Amino acid sequence: MNHFHDWGYLLAAFAGLTVATVVTRGSFFMLPARYALPAQVERALRYAPACALTAIVAQGVLTKNHEPNLTVHNYQLWALLAAAATFIKTRNMIATISVGMAVFTVLRVWA
Amino acid sequence: MMVGMSKLLPPIDHAAYREGIGVMMPLGPAIAVWGVVTGVAMVNAGLSIPAALLMTFTVFAGSAQLATMPLLATGAPLPIVWVTALLVNLRFVIFAAASRRSFMHLPWRQRLLASYLNGDLGFALFSRRFANAEEHGNPEQWGYFYGLAVFNWIVWQAGSVIGFMVGGLLPSDWGFELAAYLALLAVLIPMVQRMPAIAGVISTAAVAVAAVRLPMRLGLLLAVLVGVTVALLGEAWRDRHASHS
Repeated sequence: MNHFHDWGYLLAAFAGLTVATVVTRGSFFMLPARYALPAQVERALRYAPACALTAIVAQGVLTKNHEPNLTVHNYQLWALLAAAATFIKTRNMIATISVGMAVFTVLRVWA
Repeated sequence: MMVGMSKLLPPIDHAAYREGIGVMMPLGPAIAVWGVVTGVAMVNAGLSIPAALLMTFTVFAGSAQLATMPLLATGAPLPIVWVTALLVNLRFVIFAAASRRSFMHLPWRQRLLASYLNGDLGFALFSRRFANAEEHGNPEQWGYFYGLAVFNWIVWQAGSVIGFMVGGLLPSDWGFELAAYLALLAVLIPMVQRMPAIAGVISTAAVAVAAVRLPMRLGLLLAVLVGVTVALLGEAWRDRHASHS
């Protein structure tokens, strides 16, 4: 079943995601001034978003049907590498997505 | 219950408001593209347009929306979806701690609205503009903040809505879900500039792939836990190393 047609699931999901936005952006705006962010906590917080995004991208691109998918026939992997190189060189999101999708499409159609 | 705008907005200096808009204007195309990519990815993953509209106008966090889309599409357990969004959003806690001094003395409703609009770009520009200000919390700063925030909100939401409409027209067998991961990559790379962070994300990727068979997508959380630990250990090791030399 497609969970995107289950409004109960979606409404609960969106409510929780909105809470996730409000409590993080609001955090220290809403807390009384006497509560500060401890340096050690701030260090951990700095790394969490990058790691969470990495975990999502890694499972999305490097796995398939709950199995690792690390072969040369994984065209998404080549597209990701090309996109990463493009972003590091240009810092341009449009170029990054265009190059990645172009590499993926060329491999998918001809390889 | 109606709350008048005067209760939601602090006093605003209009010249500073226009200055904020002017500073954000050159970034308009990039903000719009980010919105379009997010919008296309949401509809392409299978969200209906009403659901997508509801999501964008409540959640209002592009990276978290993109990151949770593959989880929602496979019906992942909601706690995993929420925790993933929280982890991606933790950077906002740092932003809030860093810019609170300009907002701290406002009534809570005004702080709540301002914080909700305090995204990546606005925070960066606001911090740069008032880094060396002698006074924090005045109509000039609030005006500049709202110039940035209003422009960003309108352009990003407009881009998202365009993305919802365009996304429905794209053929679904082109593998466009990859574009969402590529967009996340562009958000991710600037966060990973130093050795501890690089070690952290490499460990995260390895664990995320190796632990993908764990039930309920728990491999995601395990991967983040390992990655953050490795990054913190790397930082401690680097600091110790630096103090010896």
